[in-house]
Amino acid sequence: MIISKKTLARRTVLRGVGAALALPMLDAMVPALSGISGRAAEPVRRLGWVYSPNGMAMDAWMPAATESLELSTTLSPLATYREQTVVISGLAQGQAEALGDGNGEHTRATATWLNGVHPRETEGADVRAGKTADQIAADQLGRTTPLSSLELAIDQDFLVGGCDNGYSCIYMNTIAWRDATTPLPMQNNPRVIFERLFGESGSPANRQSEFQKDRSILDAITNDLARLQRDVGSSDRARVTQYLDAVRAIERRIQLSEQNDTKLPELERPVGIPESYQEHVELMFDLMALAYQVDLTRVFTFMLGRELNGRAYPEIGIPDSHHGLSHHRYDTTKLAQLAKINTYHVSLFRHFLDELANTPDGDGSLLDHSLLMYGASLSDSNKHLHFDLPLLLVGGGAGQLKGGRHLQYPRDTPMTNLLVSQLDKAGVRLDEGLGDSTGRLVELAPLADV
Amino acid sequence: MGVARSRSTSRLTFTATVAVLLAARLAMAGAGPARQPEPQTSSWQRSLLDRYCVTCHNDRVQAGELVLEDLDVLSVHEAPATWETVVRKLRAGAMPPPARPRPDAETYDRLVSWLETELDRVAAVSPNPGRTEAFHRLNRTEYHNAVRDLLDLEVDVAELLPADGGSYGFDNIAGVLGISPTLLERYLGAARKISRIAVGRPAPSAATETFRVANDLSQDDWVDGMPFGTRGGATFQYNFPQDGDYVVRVFLARNAGGSLAIFDAPHTLEVSLDNEIVQSYTVGERPPVDASRGSDAYRDWQARQRTVDSDWEFRLPVRAGPRDIQVTFARRTWAYQETVREPYLRPYTGTDTRRQPYLGQITVTGPYETTDVSPAASTPSRRRIFVCESSQADSTREQTACAREIVSTLARRAYRRPVTTDDLDVLLGFFEDGRAAEGFDAGIEFALRWLLASPEFVLRVERDPVGLSAGTNYEISDLELASRLSFFLWSSLPDDELIDVASRGRLSDPVELERQTRRMLRDDRARALVTNFASQWLYLRNVPAVYPDEDLFPHVGEALRLAMRRETELFVESIFRGDRNVLELLTADYTFVNERLARHYDIPHVYGSHFRRVSLDRLPNDARRGLLGHASILAVTSYPNRTSPVLRGKWVLENLLGTPPADPPPDVPSLEETTDDGEVLSMREATERHRANPVCASCHRLMDPPGFALEQFDAVGRFRTHTAANTPIDATGELPDGTQFDGVSGLRDALVASPGRFVGTLTEKLMTYALGRGLEHYDAPTVRRIQRDAADENYRFSSIILGIVKSPPFRMRRTES
Repeated sequence: MIISKKTLARRTVLRGVGAALALPMLDAMVPALSGISGRAAEPVRRLGWVYSPNGMAMDAWMPAATESLELSTTLSPLATYREQTVVISGLAQGQAEALGDGNGEHTRATATWLNGVHPRETEGADVRAGKTADQIAADQLGRTTPLSSLELAIDQDFLVGGCDNGYSCIYMNTIAWRDATTPLPMQNNPRVIFERLFGESGSPANRQSEFQKDRSILDAITNDLARLQRDVGSSDRARVTQYLDAVRAIERRIQLSEQNDTKLPELERPVGIPESYQEHVELMFDLMALAYQVDLTRVFTFMLGRELNGRAYPEIGIPDSHHGLSHHRYDTTKLAQLAKINTYHVSLFRHFLDELANTPDGDGSLLDHSLLMYGASLSDSNKHLHFDLPLLLVGGGAGQLKGGRHLQYPRDTPMTNLLVSQLDKAGVRLDEGLGDSTGRLVELAPLADV
Repeated sequence: MGVARSRSTSRLTFTATVAVLLAARLAMAGAGPARQPEPQTSSWQRSLLDRYCVTCHNDRVQAGELVLEDLDVLSVHEAPATWETVVRKLRAGAMPPPARPRPDAETYDRLVSWLETELDRVAAVSPNPGRTEAFHRLNRTEYHNAVRDLLDLEVDVAELLPADGGSYGFDNIAGVLGISPTLLERYLGAARKISRIAVGRPAPSAATETFRVANDLSQDDWVDGMPFGTRGGATFQYNFPQDGDYVVRVFLARNAGGSLAIFDAPHTLEVSLDNEIVQSYTVGERPPVDASRGSDAYRDWQARQRTVDSDWEFRLPVRAGPRDIQVTFARRTWAYQETVREPYLRPYTGTDTRRQPYLGQITVTGPYETTDVSPAASTPSRRRIFVCESSQADSTREQTACAREIVSTLARRAYRRPVTTDDLDVLLGFFEDGRAAEGFDAGIEFALRWLLASPEFVLRVERDPVGLSAGTNYEISDLELASRLSFFLWSSLPDDELIDVASRGRLSDPVELERQTRRMLRDDRARALVTNFASQWLYLRNVPAVYPDEDLFPHVGEALRLAMRRETELFVESIFRGDRNVLELLTADYTFVNERLARHYDIPHVYGSHFRRVSLDRLPNDARRGLLGHASILAVTSYPNRTSPVLRGKWVLENLLGTPPADPPPDVPSLEETTDDGEVLSMREATERHRANPVCASCHRLMDPPGFALEQFDAVGRFRTHTAANTPIDATGELPDGTQFDGVSGLRDALVASPGRFVGTLTEKLMTYALGRGLEHYDAPTVRRIQRDAADENYRFSSIILGIVKSPPFRMRRTES
């Protein structure tokens, strides 16, 4: 296949990531730019949410009912990171229940996952849900990064019209909502993401040359605007001032990108979407790790698949459709196959954790300073249950997460309480709750003994 | 219970109102002698106001925040804004409110005409052309058109630039077209990409372009532009950036779960480039003979089909330039499908209803193995740019001379004025940098990149002349006028002829101005008045978002959406470009349909997917005539599962009558669609109950009646005689001025009975679009003048356009106050 030869060589990236260059403390840049904290010692916090579709084979996922975490079959790929993992059970998305609306279990599960707000039942363009946790984080953590957040997916969002009995397909295509009426598109093409992050070219020489060209154009724009400002009346100058402000903002971003860029190795721009699922997922995680590394963004969401998708996984010996298997009717063979898919997804996530753990960041690694959530929006997929959701947090959270635990909550504790706690740990201020939250999960509060 | 409550509420309100009025009367009577001395004989105008208006519009009550008590009606120049408001209400016949007394029609008209004449007289003495913003940024559409006309290059602006904000119903209003850092960043990116593609220089690496087909578009019939004997698929236009090899990947359409269907007969898919077949594939095969369902052979047959397009990828050499890629299927049969159910007119992907394979998407990746230097092929954009040729082979002086010629030609068009030495210095500076790095073409690329990113390209600037005092009217310069004219009529740059005429100072001459305007209206670029102005005025941009409830309207898919929009575009074009009486927009007895749309309208004997003009005489009644019968407008003013008389009424008031209702108060509860006993209400009954509240009624009694007439069309624009509740539709109503109508035909007749209203509204919309600012009270005399002049010309479209172009607001501007 011609295309596959042009995918971003993972080895190249890893080599760059583990480069011998001592990376300067990224947090040295923080005081100059951010309003979040003035203390240079405060490490940068990163957040991320990874979504696994079609619920889980719950028996295989659920760890033992002890507070000390005993990894289950599905979670076994995370063995290396047990000390930084907290599995949380018993949480529910009450707002994903029908509550008088029609049959749209998968849709509501997707739409409520990160906001706890019941979505409006409509097939038209008047969709409505709630602002999601990642965007609240992006508002605050994203103020100083070139991109406030990144939304990634594997499945395309080409479906339009109705997808799930009375709901617009828009609801299924994304887990990130900028505000109640603005769903964010999730990008599944690594090339497009690469271009957003690094521009059109992979070579540092080329990128540097583009930076320079843009800067000389910006200089010329400034001169032009100075002249225009003289030509017009005082009340009209406001527009020129707005333009000049924009020019300065872009000049700053370019400067930031230029400084960060020196740490990047030679990167080959991916040509498009890889043929195999595994390559596709790994490439997306590679790009995300790079984005974290050079502080292009600190917030991301990633859908490993869309609800209802019928992907088969022949690479792990499963020729049947994922959604089909998720309606196993408790047949043991099918449950085993579903569990295998779930485990596979977790192992792909582990690949991301490996990259983060191997990337130095300040006085630790990227993983030490991240707080990631992994899980699904349905538990028992056969019945489309919205409670006892399979969720976990992993990462150091900059010393905020005490790992190696399995926290079990009484049924119907809102999942949004977990989201609120997660945001809390990253220093994201929430004035009111989130969706149907009733407070925080206190057990997540204690700081680790550093 | 609810009804009783509102009755007592309204009784209270009534009592309160009476009390207030009595108090006001007494106050007036009592206050008589203490007020300032009134003239001995009140003018007839004053008497009318006192008798019919001042009972509510006085100092105490201040109905609608309008006080007419103390205003001297004989001196309208003291409060022209107020009197214009009065005129607007009176022309719409909306005041006095229906319940209250009003003079006979002749007297009523006499007062309005007198007020208008006075206001016009005052305006003539001291006109106010208004003040447009000094900086007016090009919006996305204009940017696209400017690049098209400057470089002969089609670019996808939706991908390059973010959407623009809108105001007053249009997206070219200077006040809301700001510049944010994000936008500037996108301008820089766009300039980089466009300059590279236009000059034909290599990209840093291969790129992939994806082209998709809507998944609810039927592909069972022939598609326009494809060879006969084919069905389905699509044509994609792609601008191949450079000579080289490109890899094409073809994907069939999948169902909602992402799987391919199984077909038991072979279908041939053909891929062509500029009408020459370059590849073909087969999908579907007969099941193995004598194989039972569970057998391996059968299962293999199924498995093969599930991955049939996994290796549908081929590589071919292509010359740079815009080319058509056509993908289609050979038609297997002309027979109609026979099923127990009537087949859907659109495919469904949840439960896959497609009986044949459909195209999903294609990707084109490349270029691979390109020659690094300038391509041998000349693309349209290179031909446009390179008015002279040069390369490293020539001396530096020769190269610079040629570059000078190239950039000055481009800059004159891009900046819309003669080029100065300063302009050239900067442009040639960028040229030199690029040339020093990578040669002549790279130099031109860099200069073009600067040109596209420069403020003088993306901003239209209007400057006050030096030395004028504040608040003075002046004629804008010829070059500024040229820009206004071309962005009004073409949504694009002025062409060479217009710039020539303007730079010689000839454009301000009225005869020349008319001649240029007429020339530009005849030019193809004037289609922008249809695709840009009319599509915003008539909400056609919302048609792609029409997704009605699939259970209630199972036949609405992409084919109908495309057809709806096309019909209205062709219809408006026939009237605009045909220079017909604009009232025909409402009354014409013809329209444009293809088979899908004709089916929707029950127009018989129309076959084929191409559009053609049909007479509406074939229909049993004339409800369908004019814009009010267009499915596009009827669908965008409905909800996905039902009609909305309120939305439709509001649309009529806003876009046809020019009297938009006020914004609704917050927290309006949703409509009750059944009685307490569960009986389904007709839309009219449901809305009537909603309007029982007098606070709501004040606006809704004006807004809903046109919507009731339009109840004769359902939520997707089909004609009907009975409501969803299966009762006969009551489509009677009245306009704000009391004119009664029955049904759509009646509404239409009522609307054109006083043609000035519709013409005035259209004029206002065109003026807002032309000036890029909202209209103010001082623009009203201009609108009236244009209306009157157009009446003399039988309301031909060109008369309105010329009226606007020659008017003071278009030709002049006021300095800062």
